Amino acid sequence: MTHSEGLHVHFTKRLASITLEMQFSVGREILVLFGPSGAGKTQTLNVISGLSYPDQGSICIDGVQLFQRDDSRTTIDVPARDRRIGYVFQSYALFPHLTALENVGYSIRKRSDREPQSRSLLARMHLEDLADRYPSELSGGQQQRVAIARALAAEPRVLLLDEPFSALDHSIREALHEELCRIQEESQLGVIYVTHNLDDALAVSHRLAVVNDGRVVQIGSWDKVIVQPATREIAGILGLPNVLDARVVEHTSEGTELDWDGVRLKTQRLEAAGGELVSVFVHPGNVRLNGESDSGIRGKYKRRHPGRSAVRIVVELTNGREIELLEPSQPLNFNDIVDITIPRESVQILGRTSPEGAKMPGNT
Amino acid sequence: MIELLTRMNWNALVLSIQVTLVATLLLSVLGLALAFIVARYNFPGQAILETLINLPLVLPPTVLGYYLLLLLGREGPFVSFFGVNLLFTWPAAAIASAIMGLPLMFQASRAAIAAIDPAIENAARTLGSSESEVFWRITLPLARRGIIAGLILGSARSLGEFGATLMIAGNIPGRTQTLPLAIYDAVQNREYAGANRMVLVMSVLSLGGLLIVRRLESSFARRG
Repeated sequence: MTHSEGLHVHFTKRLASITLEMQFSVGREILVLFGPSGAGKTQTLNVISGLSYPDQGSICIDGVQLFQRDDSRTTIDVPARDRRIGYVFQSYALFPHLTALENVGYSIRKRSDREPQSRSLLARMHLEDLADRYPSELSGGQQQRVAIARALAAEPRVLLLDEPFSALDHSIREALHEELCRIQEESQLGVIYVTHNLDDALAVSHRLAVVNDGRVVQIGSWDKVIVQPATREIAGILGLPNVLDARVVEHTSEGTELDWDGVRLKTQRLEAAGGELVSVFVHPGNVRLNGESDSGIRGKYKRRHPGRSAVRIVVELTNGREIELLEPSQPLNFNDIVDITIPRESVQILGRTSPEGAKMPGNT
Repeated sequence: MIELLTRMNWNALVLSIQVTLVATLLLSVLGLALAFIVARYNFPGQAILETLINLPLVLPPTVLGYYLLLLLGREGPFVSFFGVNLLFTWPAAAIASAIMGLPLMFQASRAAIAAIDPAIENAARTLGSSESEVFWRITLPLARRGIIAGLILGSARSLGEFGATLMIAGNIPGRTQTLPLAIYDAVQNREYAGANRMVLVMSVLSLGGLLIVRRLESSFARRG
């Protein structure tokens, strides 16, 4: 992706509760903006689409400047109607007085193209039989398909989806996720997908941008973000397990040893004084169960935990704390004693903790 | 003589229809514009504007007529601005009728426009529609039930206008005497046969209007 290709967003906007300071780029991929409600995700889509104004910043797509405002002087402001940015709203926002076919054809100017193009888009979304229905006669999933077809009909340069499937059943959601991925692959369109649901985020994202308090706090491929959250705050937003506070005990030739309420953790060399409290994260996939060997940490298998991509199990360690790991292939009984190993390189430092140990600002 | 008086007062009926049509035209343009502005924008003085529009609902028509007399009279701003004196002409009756019907039109249209999900209009914008296109293709069709209902109620109110019309247009048979005024005259002169006919015509027109409102509402209701 050269600099001019794709969508480049960089703006600030003061809202009642927070100030948005957004900066990111989207290529021919699905970028998920993930974060809690009120983090400013929808506002960001509104600014990109031209439905609301940032205080300053620039929005540029494929080398075309859509918006430019510095020092309270707006030099470029392409109106929403000319931006060619497809927007699928959370409420679908279909035109209730028009049929599915008319909704899709709304933006097609040339009369002779309108019907054939709308029909082929509906067919692409498996809706050809429902062309003459009004939105009120369609299910939520069907309405959302019409909304996507309608946005695609305008031949957008980028497609924005705001919590698009949040009101739909799980199975319909999965089908629509597949469809969205297929459409993106076929059209090589840039897509921004906003959600506060991590399952949705993981299902579609090529890259994941974690948004909190109006800014992107971490961006990267989703597996990278999930395995290596940059801060404790991000791990919290992602709802990750195995975030713990441990105290620096000593530095050895191999690295640093930490004390986690009586359990020894080995990490790579850490620049921290003895006695200092640090937050660490261990991805469940990196915790190993090692059968009879007693080289590791001992605990008791407590319960299963149906997770997002795989089932995890919870082990209660000798210090009374719990750690999660992926379910092993061999069967376990509750309260079985197990030995686990936490490899040195998989212990990720999220930052220093304040003495109280609870909340702290992240540092990277 | 009696034969003549029992016949329908065609002059008054034609004049009433003429006044109501012009009043309806004024109502639809002014009422819709005001409803749209109040429903879609926030601006200082909005509450005052809304109160002024709704004033005819509570003000005695004669008081309103008196204000209009000041406004349209020889010393008033209308004459000095446009150089036309409308007092005691049928257009004055049309203006008075339109102002009396305006609150009904305004209320119904504003509620209908405000009820539209702004996301629907925003969707049209992102699909390439200009503001006027959004209005004609989205806002107006979606608010049509409320707008048409408001228009019919407003014009029915205009058709029945009496007090304010009397104040500024007078009661000149053949020139400014509308049906309600003619009915009053007929009753004053104990010409009950004529009054009966005119009352019947007024009742049929008003009932018909309300029936049309109902028909429109139920035919649009199918699409929700």
